[in-house]
Amino acid sequence: MRRAALAVLATAAVGCGGDDEPGDLVVSAAASLRAPLTECSRDGEDPRIRLQFAGSDELAAQIRKGVRPDVYAAANTKLPDQLAEEGLLEQPAVFATNRLVLATPRDSRIDALDDLERPGLRLVVGSEGVPIGDYTREVLGRLGPAGERAILANVRSEEPDVKGIVGKLAQSAADAGFVYRTDVGAARLRAVPLAARLQPEVAYGAGVVKGTDLPEDARAFAAGLRTGPCAEALRAAGFGRPHGR
Amino acid sequence: MLELEARTPVGTIELDVALTVEQGECLALAGPSGAGKTSVLRIAAGLLKPERGRVACGGRTWLDTVGGVALAPDERRCAYVFQEYALFPTMTAWQNVAYPLREGRRSARRARAHELLERFGVGHVADARPATLSGGERQRVALARALARRPEALLLDEPLSALDSRTRAGAARALREILAEAGVPALLVTHDFAEAAELGDRVGIVDAGAIVQEGTATELAAQPRTAFVADFAGAVVLTGTARAGEGGLTAVDLDGGGTVLSTDAASGPVAVSVFPWEIAIEGGETAAPSTSSPQNHLRARVTAVTAVGNRARIALSGPQPLVAEITAASAERLALKPGTAVVATWKAAATRLVAR
Amino acid sequence: MRGWFAALLGVATAAALLFLTLPVVAIFVDTSPARLLDSLGEEGALDALWLSLKTTALALAIIVVVGTPVAWLLASRRFPGRALAVTLVELPLVLPPAVAGIALLAALGPEGILGGALADAGIRLPLTTAAVVVALTFVASPFYVRQAQAAFGAVDRTLVDASRTLGASEARTFLRVIVPTAAPGLAAAGALALGRALGEFGATLMFAGSLQGITQTAPLAIYDRFATDFDAALALSAVLVAVSAGILLAVKLVRGGEALDRAGA
Repeated sequence: MRRAALAVLATAAVGCGGDDEPGDLVVSAAASLRAPLTECSRDGEDPRIRLQFAGSDELAAQIRKGVRPDVYAAANTKLPDQLAEEGLLEQPAVFATNRLVLATPRDSRIDALDDLERPGLRLVVGSEGVPIGDYTREVLGRLGPAGERAILANVRSEEPDVKGIVGKLAQSAADAGFVYRTDVGAARLRAVPLAARLQPEVAYGAGVVKGTDLPEDARAFAAGLRTGPCAEALRAAGFGRPHGR
Repeated sequence: MLELEARTPVGTIELDVALTVEQGECLALAGPSGAGKTSVLRIAAGLLKPERGRVACGGRTWLDTVGGVALAPDERRCAYVFQEYALFPTMTAWQNVAYPLREGRRSARRARAHELLERFGVGHVADARPATLSGGERQRVALARALARRPEALLLDEPLSALDSRTRAGAARALREILAEAGVPALLVTHDFAEAAELGDRVGIVDAGAIVQEGTATELAAQPRTAFVADFAGAVVLTGTARAGEGGLTAVDLDGGGTVLSTDAASGPVAVSVFPWEIAIEGGETAAPSTSSPQNHLRARVTAVTAVGNRARIALSGPQPLVAEITAASAERLALKPGTAVVATWKAAATRLVAR
Repeated sequence: MRGWFAALLGVATAAALLFLTLPVVAIFVDTSPARLLDSLGEEGALDALWLSLKTTALALAIIVVVGTPVAWLLASRRFPGRALAVTLVELPLVLPPAVAGIALLAALGPEGILGGALADAGIRLPLTTAAVVVALTFVASPFYVRQAQAAFGAVDRTLVDASRTLGASEARTFLRVIVPTAAPGLAAAGALALGRALGEFGATLMFAGSLQGITQTAPLAIYDRFATDFDAALALSAVLVAVSAGILLAVKLVRGGEALDRAGA
């Protein structure tokens, strides 16, 4: 019974890929990777690459419920590592890094983290379990309990992905929010850099989904994220080189 | 006294009427559907505003398009009984009757509503909803509701048409009493001349937005001014051309053959009208035309025989179609059935001529 | 050979029923009653449900108070531009929720058309509970107005005339005769709007954001738990399904009662 129910859910989740032709390479990637990945996998590819973007956590949840893309590229390393442990993903590798910034609307006068403690300020953050939300809490955790509490008291919305935060800042619906450096440019937001001691390690991990029909192509795509044209596109969009792992 | 004058387009017709109804009098407007009868009632009630017109009742002006007076329907004290009665479906009978009562406490209004229902013989349905009432009960509740406000005029739209034929006779009698008792001008419209004759002190025949003739029902039936009035009043109407005949009578050569005589004077194209009950039937093709007093004889064949109580309506096809009404016994005696050849006869004195 | 069409109808109906009910059934199959109670015990879930009920009730009150006269006007009057007005009122019906969210930000957001005026009045709507109510009202009101308009359209116009000739003003006629007569249809309209408001997701997220106890309604809470706690999302979904089914059932009962009333005639 349970199994049947899960199958139904999986079918529903995969519904958006109804035009999925066998032979297409399906890449589930974090929403923040949309611009560079679209840029580098445009034309003349064989097999044809189909990109689908959503929150990393959402994509991971889909894979756990039976949806099977060929490659999974997340905005952190935690989720790919978890999937690998669960036997759903081949050994993931870091392919890019990013930095967190404090973003504000253009005309804002906020220029330090201290300003976020001002009563009445409207702060939007990612919700817990979403990479941007977890990184944000990491930053706040390094401020000390008093500062953390004061800032968290100003949180007006916990968004399910980065787009929600960027959109609300762009519309001045919120006064400030934590986003990736790479999100600021396109939305014409103002960025306040964070001190190095506060900066979390934002690393993007990708892996080949186990049981893929196209293991070679999938592995080639994953490797291309570290070296090929996709790596260049990521650098151009402001993502950092992978280091460490 | 209710006075009404109106000129206004209504749908495809141009309504142009002027009428006066005295205190305690009932004027019945009769005409085919689409003639504009209901529009007259709506203008009187303020539900329809004519382009030009004047309505006055009991010394008060309700509408004067020239003087810029136009009272809203709720400011005119007139009772309107709608064709399907328009009882409020969400209220009980007594709540319907109490609806127009605005003064006094709820208990007083309730008592007054019950009293009215009692007076109209439907006290026993006070707590029932309209959907559960019979047609006759609905009509009485609607009348009770309309009269609860002590109106200065009474407007009735086809008050009997929603009733079945068995209830109708009793309801008509009751309605006449109610109208007499109310003592206010009553304006009634109906598509049935017999109903108008029964309920109206005077009858106005309405055709295409105009009152073409007004008078007592007897006057209209006996002296129809137009073929339309004659036809509507129930007469058989034949067409022909009139010329001087023998013995000071007028002879009419009917279109399609045959000649009839009339005591009316006329010449040229005319409409000949005669009431069905004036026409007698003599049976048998071989039977010689009678020499008795009726001077009009037309050969015809029976096309249909319809029993109406102790009478029989005989539809005939002669030079032109006509209808005779005879006793059921005569019909039996003559063994009339479709196809029987007969002679229809009537007196020259019962033959009305109207110029066409 | 003769039976093939009947068989086709049967197969199509069976397929449709299976397709429509299986996902809903799956929610309950995957949720044990104990787990359901557990999830409801979780503070965030109760907050979300309570907020959903509160904001939906408020939105519905606004919709009914303002929408009822609007529906009557559109149903009873002919005026130039009426067709346009009807279309405008119905427009949010066909807007994707995301478009509704964007539209609300563009109209009432700080950068929006009325943003300056609202700011001068000291009002900043986005990210507040009031914004949730605004979003729900925006997406749900057309459902009410449309249905209510149909309900009013079905009211026999001679009842209105009768009321007026019995000395009642337009307002009294509306309150005492028209609204009671159209009541079952209005209730159905309200239930429809209620269901839509209760399920509202996209416009709320974009315009009001998502914060526990302030703007995180039940659908947002479900989405929030989708990735991190699927079981909790399922449990909350089950509750929402139960509430929605209850509303649907209530409407059917009201409608049934109305039909019985007619049958009594």
